[in-house]
Amino acid sequence: MKQFTYTIKDEVGIHARPAGNLVKLIKGYSSTVTIEKEGKPAINATALMKLMGLGVKCGDTVKFSIEGDDEEASAKAIEEFMTANL
Amino acid sequence: MDYNKCASEILSALGGKDNLASAAHCATRLRLVIGDNGKVKKSVLENIDGVKGVFEAAGQLQVIIGTGTVNKVYGEFIKLAGVEAASKDDVKKAAAAKAPWYKRAIKTLGDIFVPIIPAIVATGLLCGLLGGLSKAFPDLGSTKIYTLLDIFSNAALTFLPILIAVSAAKIFGANVYLGAVIGMIMIHPNLINAWSVGDGSNLPVLWSWFGLWDIHATGYQGHVIPVVIAILVLSIIEKWLHKRVPEVLDLFVTPLVSVLVTGFLTMTVIGPVFSQIETWVLTGAQWLISIPLGIGSFLMGAAYAPTVVAGVHHMYNAIELSMLANNGMNTWMPIATAANVAQGSAALAVAVKTRNRKLKSMALPASLSAFLGITEPAIFGVNVRFGKPLIAGMIGGACGAAVASIMGVYATANGVTGVFGFLITTDTFVGYLLTFLIATAVAFAVSWILYKDAEPETEAVPEKPEAESKPAENYDDNCVYAPLKGKAVLMADVPDETFASDVLGMGAAVDPSEGKVVAPADGEVSTLFDTHHAIGLTLDNGMEMLIHVGINTVELNGEGYKAFVSEGDRVTRGQTLITFDIPLIKSKGYKTITPVIITNADDYKSIIKAADGDVDFLDKLIETTK
Repeated sequence: MKQFTYTIKDEVGIHARPAGNLVKLIKGYSSTVTIEKEGKPAINATALMKLMGLGVKCGDTVKFSIEGDDEEASAKAIEEFMTANL
Repeated sequence: MDYNKCASEILSALGGKDNLASAAHCATRLRLVIGDNGKVKKSVLENIDGVKGVFEAAGQLQVIIGTGTVNKVYGEFIKLAGVEAASKDDVKKAAAAKAPWYKRAIKTLGDIFVPIIPAIVATGLLCGLLGGLSKAFPDLGSTKIYTLLDIFSNAALTFLPILIAVSAAKIFGANVYLGAVIGMIMIHPNLINAWSVGDGSNLPVLWSWFGLWDIHATGYQGHVIPVVIAILVLSIIEKWLHKRVPEVLDLFVTPLVSVLVTGFLTMTVIGPVFSQIETWVLTGAQWLISIPLGIGSFLMGAAYAPTVVAGVHHMYNAIELSMLANNGMNTWMPIATAANVAQGSAALAVAVKTRNRKLKSMALPASLSAFLGITEPAIFGVNVRFGKPLIAGMIGGACGAAVASIMGVYATANGVTGVFGFLITTDTFVGYLLTFLIATAVAFAVSWILYKDAEPETEAVPEKPEAESKPAENYDDNCVYAPLKGKAVLMADVPDETFASDVLGMGAAVDPSEGKVVAPADGEVSTLFDTHHAIGLTLDNGMEMLIHVGINTVELNGEGYKAFVSEGDRVTRGQTLITFDIPLIKSKGYKTITPVIITNADDYKSIIKAADGDVDFLDKLIETTK
């Protein structure tokens, strides 16, 4: 399993569009990804409504846990996506 | 020409008041900022009787009317646009009209004061800080920087009548510049500052009524009520003249006569009469606090804030100075402190309790400045507006003042209250501290209990007429019913790659004609963005839905949107979820087309747009198969 944390820099946080794009990206890999925001239970990162329901805002830190055959590649792609968009 | 007809025709040719962002006029033209230029019927505009030409420049739509008539058309125009704008608040308005005269008078005073609060805060806070610092560091008073800052700190209060006059002129509908002139007349340098003279017996005489009653050449520095009355008179005279003076002469005659008559009345009647009333209040106040056992102070502590509202508190310096001259003990200042911190504390309770962000961000600094001794922002900006906090502050002030009187608190100087007051009450530190704390605690507690946010619109009774008008028999669980009214659009035609490519899910979009989103079916609000531009629902049939009002509208940060539900709420079919201001959003350059997306699209075999053209609320929009 691979894990990393990311602190949101985007002003409005994970809103509809980046959330949708993130889900699409994650679905492109076979690994299972969960996202955890401090103080809330981890959620499946492909559940769009739950992801938006986390209410991740600027300055929040989220933890990604990636498990599966292509976890290396998936983790790398997610991290790149986060850095580029959020 | 019929100004009213002209104005109403212009308004309708613009696409109604909804399409109007702002309106002003210059010497010849109406200058209008329009929401959607596409709605403006220019050819109709040009043919309206009284309109001499129309063109667009500098982001404005300019309608040429002509000298002497444009202001009259403008007056009607504003009335027409304004009356309709206020019609949403019909109930409130009707209630305000029914309010007793003293409530309306206090509200008017508040309306006059609120806009000038920034000026008073800026200079008043500086004044309090300087006062405190120079008591702590006596050498400060002789420095250059002190002299400079001292000018900054008293400029607004020195010329207060001008600020009040300008603001009052706006409220009463008088010409703002003429209002300013009246304010200037009242504090003209050739007049003697009324506060710097003891008694008026040796002053030069400005005017004499029949040789019986002399009016002295004193200014009205620091006065409030005489200025407000003067501007009220100005507005009446000016409007009366506008109606009667022929258009060609209006520009010359009206300002001249308005200023002449108002100025004369102000300097010979209004000013002296209201000064006299203020003197009586002063005498009464001095008598009052001489009642023993803290009773007098208790009453004065309660009455103090209303006297600030009336503007007579500027005279208290005279009481304090005479006390200091008499025995060196200023027992007035602790009463002022109790009243001031109590008002600040009452405003603080409002700041903490309210859920209205705008009010919170205003009440907090206003409260802080009251603790430093400048109470106008708290009193006018918060407490008078809501009434109850003012009373809470009066109760707190009364309790604090009674404590001060019983403990024998006195100050050795004047002009400073609140936190900095500790510096001039070192002889009776414990008593002053108790005065301070009791006034603060009582006012906060009472204000906290009494204050409630006025009918927050987010808790409005859910509207369900649509649900009733569309009988539930025809309801099909496999369909999505339109949460908006407008034109149904294929998702692929939404002008945004993310939505069009179904990244977020599948569905259809609505280009709304009405700024309202209703629940398409019974369910629960699973996500509501802070910016209120999008809402996620989990419906009872298992469907997860995202309704995203507009494209890129997250960037509006909530401006133009109002949510009627919050996360986790149960909603019923047809219930209003969000309202939004279509012209405003469009005027900011955003599209209001609204994708309605089924986000758990993977759970369905097919998701197809089922409506063509216009849909009403809860018409069939999308068909699905599992």
